[in-house]
Amino acid sequence: MAVPLKDIEIKEEYPKTLLLEKHIKFIKQYGQSENDFEYGMTDYLRVSGMYWGLTALELVDKLDSLPKEEVIGFIQKCQDPETGGISACIDHDPHLLHTLSAVQILCIYNRIDAIDVEGVIKYVASLQLPDGSFTGDKWGEVDTRFSFCAVATLSLLKRLNAINVDKAVEFVKSCMNFDGGFGSRPKSESHAGLIYCCLGFLSVTGRLDIVEQDTLAWWLCERQLSSGGLNGRPEKLPDVCYSWWVLSSLSIIGRLHWISSETLKRFILACQDTESGGFADRPGDIPDPFHTLFGLAALSLLGFGDIKQVNPTYCMPQYVIDRLQLKPQVLK
Amino acid sequence: MHGRLKVRTTEEQRLLKEKEQQKKLTAYQTGMKQILSTRNPTSYDPKSFAISAQLLVVNPDIYTLWNYRKEVILLELDKSKSECKDTIIDNGICDEKSQESLDVTKGLIKFLENEIRLTEQCLLANPKSYGSWHHRYWIMEHHPEPNWQNEFELCTKYLTMDDRNFHCWDYRRLILNKIGMSLEDEIKFSTERINVNFSNYSSWHYRSTLRKLDKDSLESEINLIMNAIFTDPADSSAWFYLRWVLSNPEMTEGHRKQLSQTLDQLLELEPDSKWCLLAKCWINGIKKGENMNEDQIEELTENYKKLLILDPLRKGFYSHYLNALESKKLNNA
Ligand SMILES: [Zn+2]
Repeated sequence: MAVPLKDIEIKEEYPKTLLLEKHIKFIKQYGQSENDFEYGMTDYLRVSGMYWGLTALELVDKLDSLPKEEVIGFIQKCQDPETGGISACIDHDPHLLHTLSAVQILCIYNRIDAIDVEGVIKYVASLQLPDGSFTGDKWGEVDTRFSFCAVATLSLLKRLNAINVDKAVEFVKSCMNFDGGFGSRPKSESHAGLIYCCLGFLSVTGRLDIVEQDTLAWWLCERQLSSGGLNGRPEKLPDVCYSWWVLSSLSIIGRLHWISSETLKRFILACQDTESGGFADRPGDIPDPFHTLFGLAALSLLGFGDIKQVNPTYCMPQYVIDRLQLKPQVLK
Repeated sequence: MHGRLKVRTTEEQRLLKEKEQQKKLTAYQTGMKQILSTRNPTSYDPKSFAISAQLLVVNPDIYTLWNYRKEVILLELDKSKSECKDTIIDNGICDEKSQESLDVTKGLIKFLENEIRLTEQCLLANPKSYGSWHHRYWIMEHHPEPNWQNEFELCTKYLTMDDRNFHCWDYRRLILNKIGMSLEDEIKFSTERINVNFSNYSSWHYRSTLRKLDKDSLESEINLIMNAIFTDPADSSAWFYLRWVLSNPEMTEGHRKQLSQTLDQLLELEPDSKWCLLAKCWINGIKKGENMNEDQIEELTENYKKLLILDPLRKGFYSHYLNALESKKLNNA
């Protein structure tokens, strides 16, 4: 009763070169109007969506094609004066996910002064629980994604000391599994997205020493399938966004060379939409800004000359991280 | 934005679709406006409340709407508390003295049951929505008479439909804490799931979280793994579990020998099984601290070289170990 391996076939007709101009057009056009269906229906993730599009454009040096002041003005309106947190969209509720995205955008623009920074710090600190974990907002959902959002936000604002870092590390450590990976809560199954969050967290806090480097790196490099693409968990289909979570994780723990970068490149390039531009999760699917950012960022880690160097911990241009004089830890 | 296939359409179809989409978008935007503009801390508009349910069934990721519904539930809980004429116990439940109080409690429970049904509707449409799962748990925590047993059975049902849904496994773990299932039962459950489908990484993972392995359990785990890898040596799940079991300090030389011999048998049947070769490397390479003799180094080197050819994607990984063996050889010399 052998189960066939889940993978896709890379067909000859799929694109093999980077369609840079098309991607620029794709991102620029996305979000031209709230009356556009895809865009209008996704206002509940707007600020994160802005971060995806904007970072993608900056990685290909076209950030100035977006209306900077409009973006900053929008983020200002999304900050909740009471809690200090930032929401996805005006009149929606503040959340840690969008608070991080907003701070990332403002760091790229070098305009962190545009928001109430003390408010953001107060908000992030208010979400830490006694066991060190973080909730995404005041409604109590705990997840290691939020641990990452918290320390990434605070470190970008140079205020990591606003929370109990040791406790936070303790919680993330308690989410480590038998395979060396991490899940969303203690005893939750390992998942590439959450592994990225936990490694990112440990990289920011300088505590990668707790990682079982080679056990985890082996699990991660086993995510690569014959198509070249990476999946997020065993026996799942490959996906461009998982290619980024796995690749950045391997990069943080110094084992990027444990997978085949040539075949991964081939897979990511095959996920480009030759008509509209943009990347999809898999070849032939509908592209979106989320997969476009992670496709470009993954290609950057693989050393694509046309794309600016990306920082694997923050998923932001490396020069921005340098400008902020941040040195997230990586393992050799 | 996952798994949506791009389909070729005619111009006519495209226009038709666009029209439909505009309708949907307008309905969404009008709905959101109605809900957000009537939102206030002291009361709620039943019409907005109903619309928010409709929007969530279509898209459970609109997190602000779940928050809005939680606010409404808190209002209902407060109302129920203040309507209780008798002593209040907890979570808005009334002391069962007067008929009137009983009715208040009944009304509240009916309200919460509706909410639970809504999350079920959302989960059936989208079983991987963080918002729906969290909302469900949140309601249960605020429920005056939570039926955790029912939740537990729901988990078992959902896991039979998709045994890889990690949200559902996580929910199951939360409920276990509430109803205090026995460890034996959960081990039995994971064995059942594994026997239904060896290729179920989630069940193997779950198993690893249940207990620390001791001498006795180690033996039975090794048997389970052997059973799985002989059934389907190409499936990866059991091999990951094996690597973990091998790292257990209770593993004896006897265990290793037994395993090594079984793997040799499997290799005779499946000489190109990369997993089997790799497992042999783990068993022999486990004694890192000790000095390996030349034969052992030679055998390991041979295996890694074979792996390089069998599994070229992970060339970097195998080379890493080959290099380490190379320097060991030099040190020995
Ligand atoms: Zn994806």
